[in-house]
Amino acid sequence: MTHAHGRSTGLPISRATMAGAATALALLLSATALAQPAGGGRIGGQSQPPAGQELPVDDTSVEQAPAPNARRIYVSDPAHFAVLTQLFTIDGDKGKLLGMSDTGFVPNTVVASDGSFFGTASTVWSRLGHGKRTDYIEILDARTHNPIIDIELPKDPRFLVGTYPMMTTLTPDNKSLLFYQFSPSPAVGLVSLTDKKLVKMMDVPDCYHIFPSDNNNFFMHCRDGSMLKVTFKADGSAERKKTQVFHKEDEYLYNTPAYSAKAGRIVWPTYTGKTFQVDVTGNEAKFMPAFEAFSDEEKAQGWAPGGWQVVAYHRESDRVFLLADQRAKWTHKSPSRFVFVFEGKTGKRLNKIDLGHETDSIAVSQDKTPQLYALSSAQKTLFIHDAESGKEVSKVDRLGHSPLVINTSDM
Amino acid sequence: MRRALLSALLVALPLHAASAADAIEVLPDASAAPAEAKQVQIAKMKFNPTDITVKAGTVVTWTNSEALPHNVHFKAGGPNVSKDIEGPMLRANQTFSVRFNQAGTYDYICTPHPFMKAKVTVE
Repeated sequence: MTHAHGRSTGLPISRATMAGAATALALLLSATALAQPAGGGRIGGQSQPPAGQELPVDDTSVEQAPAPNARRIYVSDPAHFAVLTQLFTIDGDKGKLLGMSDTGFVPNTVVASDGSFFGTASTVWSRLGHGKRTDYIEILDARTHNPIIDIELPKDPRFLVGTYPMMTTLTPDNKSLLFYQFSPSPAVGLVSLTDKKLVKMMDVPDCYHIFPSDNNNFFMHCRDGSMLKVTFKADGSAERKKTQVFHKEDEYLYNTPAYSAKAGRIVWPTYTGKTFQVDVTGNEAKFMPAFEAFSDEEKAQGWAPGGWQVVAYHRESDRVFLLADQRAKWTHKSPSRFVFVFEGKTGKRLNKIDLGHETDSIAVSQDKTPQLYALSSAQKTLFIHDAESGKEVSKVDRLGHSPLVINTSDM
Repeated sequence: MRRALLSALLVALPLHAASAADAIEVLPDASAAPAEAKQVQIAKMKFNPTDITVKAGTVVTWTNSEALPHNVHFKAGGPNVSKDIEGPMLRANQTFSVRFNQAGTYDYICTPHPFMKAKVTVE
């Protein structure tokens, strides 16, 4: 749920601590009012009804979030590897927190391509931090925030790692969820949201991340610098085919590439700002010319990407947004203060935005006049900017302990 | 933290649990390996050779020759492996020895580098 007022008649789930607090506060206020002596005095600036009349009762209800749009934002707080974490639902138009969902250890968030639901692949233990481990998929309705699907994953296959968005994804038809297993051997779990079960762990070579190019194909990035195409059927049987090697061994690609499933575009910067792009439309990997985000002179001045989600891609305008700053080598996970904007096709630089705050992760909404989202883990705040001008338009603060990951939907 | 727990688990796993009756018998220390033991080198994120064939009763010794720690992990569920045998992490020049008592194929990996895959075939 999103918000609750007063004496709610049965909270469907006990997930929103804010809702709980609101309920408790309202109950307390009601009790205070009831405790006042009858007789029409003014207490707290409000008129009391004459003796003999009943006090008005609050009309209580559980609110729903508005219908999701392109500016619906989900911010995940992995809380520095705490076992209990939170996912915040935010309205980008109003710069307003809509609700919260409880999540487990290093959860991965997915959002339906039409925005109708969101969910997480998550992990809990029977004794908080130890005991029996349970990996599961939870899907929640985007308006009520009630869980609508809960699927337990046998044999604890999740890869427990600092949250990389492309380690868990949905196919474009929103019927299958794919997640990565690292140990004991690389595999991709195929989960049917229709049949509500794990269909199969599909063995893959030494490759990472999952980019679905349609409902039966996805690409991965392999240790040897190639991409892998996996074509799978509903029963999880799969064929695998590697592409050419597209980058050198000493070109280190970030763990958080941007992927537009609708454009079939993977945008993948290196630690120095060299940005690779792969077009996977038609289920074929076509390697676009890589562009350098920074000139040699800028590199000498220390300009390089840095943060967690360092890159975002706006499909309709074909623009790449890169989070960067002047930094020492090997500080590629430290936050940055600037976003550089590039034309996707040519790599031509269009803009440099001074965010005005240390930023760990960026994303953009996929509407015609996109918002640029800039998340500060240290400030626990999502700053919302106009993506064209770079101007800050609103912000949402108090987002948990160390919010790190932004998910939106290209609907 | 969880990583620390994992490390502790790796260290604490019962290497001594295997006995001569087991298909895979982990030898207690390097000195227990006979001079004629078959050698497998670990370097550059690979087992070398990745595929060896030995006779039943043969001891195989793995030596890590690089600074990056590796181990030898026979994962339960693989052919002829009924329960996990997870060797200790070997630092540079440390060794790990196993006697194979029964014919069959034994797949193994390195726990933190599951893409390092190899096998021992016992005749």
